[in-house]
Amino acid sequence: MKKRQGWLFFIIFLLTLSVYLLINYPLQLGLDLQGGSQLTLQIIKEKGKVTRDELEAVNSVIDKRVNNLGVSESNLQTLGGDQLILELPGEQNPLVASRVLGKTALLEFRTQKEGTSTDLKTLQLQRFSIKELIKQYSFVEKSQNDDNFLNVIQDDLKDIEQELNYSSTSNDLYGKLIDIKKYVDKEITNLFIKTDLSGKDLINAGRRQEQTNSNWEVLLTFSNSGGEKFAEITKSIAGTNQLLAIILDGESISEASVGNQFASTGITGGLATISGNFSAENARELEVQLKGGSLPLPIEIVETNTIGALLGSKNILKSLYAAISGLIFVGIFMIFNYRILGFVSVLSLVLYGFFNLALYSLIPVTLTLPGISGLILSIGMAVDANILIFERIREELYDGNTLTRSIDSGFQRANSSIVDGHITTLLSCFVLFLLGTNFVKGFAATLGIGVLISLFTSLNCSKTILRFFTTYQSFRQKNLYLPRNNFTQ
Amino acid sequence: MKFNLELIKNKRNIIGFSTVLIFLSLLGILYSTFNTSYKKPINLGMDFVGGTELRIERICKEECSNFSPDLVLENLRENSKNKNLLNNIKLQSQNNNKLISIRTPYLSIEESNNLISNLDNIIGPLNYESKDTRLIGPKLGKRLLTNCVTSLLVSLIAISLYITIRFDKKYALFALLALFHDLLIVFGIFSWLGIILSVEVNSLFAVSLLTIAGYSVNDTVVIFDRIRENLKSKKEGYNETIQLSVNESFRRTTFTSITTLIPLLSIILFGSYSLFWFSLALSLGIIIGSYSSILLAPSLLLKD
Repeated sequence: MKKRQGWLFFIIFLLTLSVYLLINYPLQLGLDLQGGSQLTLQIIKEKGKVTRDELEAVNSVIDKRVNNLGVSESNLQTLGGDQLILELPGEQNPLVASRVLGKTALLEFRTQKEGTSTDLKTLQLQRFSIKELIKQYSFVEKSQNDDNFLNVIQDDLKDIEQELNYSSTSNDLYGKLIDIKKYVDKEITNLFIKTDLSGKDLINAGRRQEQTNSNWEVLLTFSNSGGEKFAEITKSIAGTNQLLAIILDGESISEASVGNQFASTGITGGLATISGNFSAENARELEVQLKGGSLPLPIEIVETNTIGALLGSKNILKSLYAAISGLIFVGIFMIFNYRILGFVSVLSLVLYGFFNLALYSLIPVTLTLPGISGLILSIGMAVDANILIFERIREELYDGNTLTRSIDSGFQRANSSIVDGHITTLLSCFVLFLLGTNFVKGFAATLGIGVLISLFTSLNCSKTILRFFTTYQSFRQKNLYLPRNNFTQ
Repeated sequence: MKFNLELIKNKRNIIGFSTVLIFLSLLGILYSTFNTSYKKPINLGMDFVGGTELRIERICKEECSNFSPDLVLENLRENSKNKNLLNNIKLQSQNNNKLISIRTPYLSIEESNNLISNLDNIIGPLNYESKDTRLIGPKLGKRLLTNCVTSLLVSLIAISLYITIRFDKKYALFALLALFHDLLIVFGIFSWLGIILSVEVNSLFAVSLLTIAGYSVNDTVVIFDRIRENLKSKKEGYNETIQLSVNESFRRTTFTSITTLIPLLSIILFGSYSLFWFSLALSLGIIIGSYSSILLAPSLLLKD
């Protein structure tokens, strides 16, 4: 009896601890419960597998970019060796994040090939007109579909295609416009020769508004060696009609001449500006990308989930209803069928709920919708063990054994088949957790933890509570443990 | 309240019933593979094929006005840059025109935002706080599918191994037969649901199959344990002992199934819509699983 009393105090201690944990370390809610966006980024590698180092490198670049973007409480984690998952809680627009994160941001400095001035001028002009066409197109799109206007754009585009001697294979107008712009960008880049100066030589980036107009420019700060390289390069083309191009992901974002006054030393000081008609937003995005460095491997956004905050709180409410009503109906069923024993199982179920939640906040487990369904499902499974035991106790009672003896041997004999029976469920959970996606992991974790805790609560807690009840004379009548119609038969 | 299932008398009926269920399931799977637009054994949802799903609520003063989905779609198409993507667009309204759900092929975040703001112009105002969008690229979809199939195979192998180690060969074989019977029938039901109601299966369906596998074996293990125990003490003949064991554990098995079904039913009734088909699949699996543990698996053990 003393041993049991020890257990009783231990259980009360655990319960107090759980309540304390739950008050001080609130549960972490997944995005489907609090609202927000989740982006899955896939690292693209043509040949072979993504190595651990590459994953780390991509992770750190993305991490820097996310931090520089200033999104609050974001969470970045790797998944399955070649994916990253970024969570943006609340009503933060995933669009900006996707634009900034999705780009490789490979910054190059190139010098113009000699004798290509006329070619470049023609291409620059064509680039200008195509950009104008894209602007017009977006304008037409936004206001009203005006077929005449679209036809004008189509005709202009045809002229450019003829000049370029290139035709796009895309079948809609917008696709064609984008396609041809890319082609022009490539042609321009081809007029420039690579240098050994790149985004790696930067130590900082910033932005400011240009003094003469409302456009923004991006400021680059080179490292010492980068500054020297920059001086060298500018020296080599100063005073000639060759231009210096700054190329981002294969697209030239600025072409500038270097004045004759730099012919002797080049541009020193380790600073440069890119002024290519940036809007405030574009300048900021470029700044963030340059600060984070370029990605060692390109990435692609393969999944985006966005859930509104209102929907999130509705999901919490619905899950609460489901969990509580499940608990109540299971309780009614148990008390109806097993009387005092049923009541004991309800008490251990309540303990089970507290222990589960406390463990979630301790580990911590982020609660998601599938996670909650795992929890609710495990309520049903937690009672399984109790039913097995209670059926045994009933059989012993029918056989005419005393209450204490029946209870003892009921627990003892059911022990092994309970542990056995839960192993297969645990096996499934384990596989799910190892191989599953984020969402699936949530379910596997809660169901697995639930099954494990239920072994403790249904074997130990219910036994202790039952023992506690039977110390009182009034709870020792056999008929409190059996439905009346059964007992009289 | 003693139970007396006449297992020995009904052996033929039970095995016949299961054969019919398996036949119907296979029929559904075959029909689905050859005679549907998607040509797959089961209607694979967005998780596996990629695509875009948008759900958003309209803000209405009292009742939301009626609208014609076709007209809205036409408007959306006219306002969209990417004409091709919107050829495959589907639009539905639920909750008295309040909730709008749209399915399209994979869109970028920007394209989906444009789609929503266009929708806002046509039948707005929309409540952005109630938005639920999922964009899944086709690459990820394929990966998820392989992932799910591997998980299923690995855990079936693990369960089979466990059962073979734990039981004699004969018991293990029948427990596994019952397990595959359960999974096949749940799969078949969802094949039919896909054919008739265009219900799609997502990664949660794979999860439900795995959970059913774990649970159904668990039930069979308990009954087989009882049979083994009773056969050792051998009071009656072999067949009679099996029938007795089943009747002895009948209460326990049905009760545990009921207590597991109750929480699932409350998820179906009160829970979030995204868990509806998942809970339904689990419930079906548990019902079929109890049937096969109580009636089918022991019947297979009976001698003629």
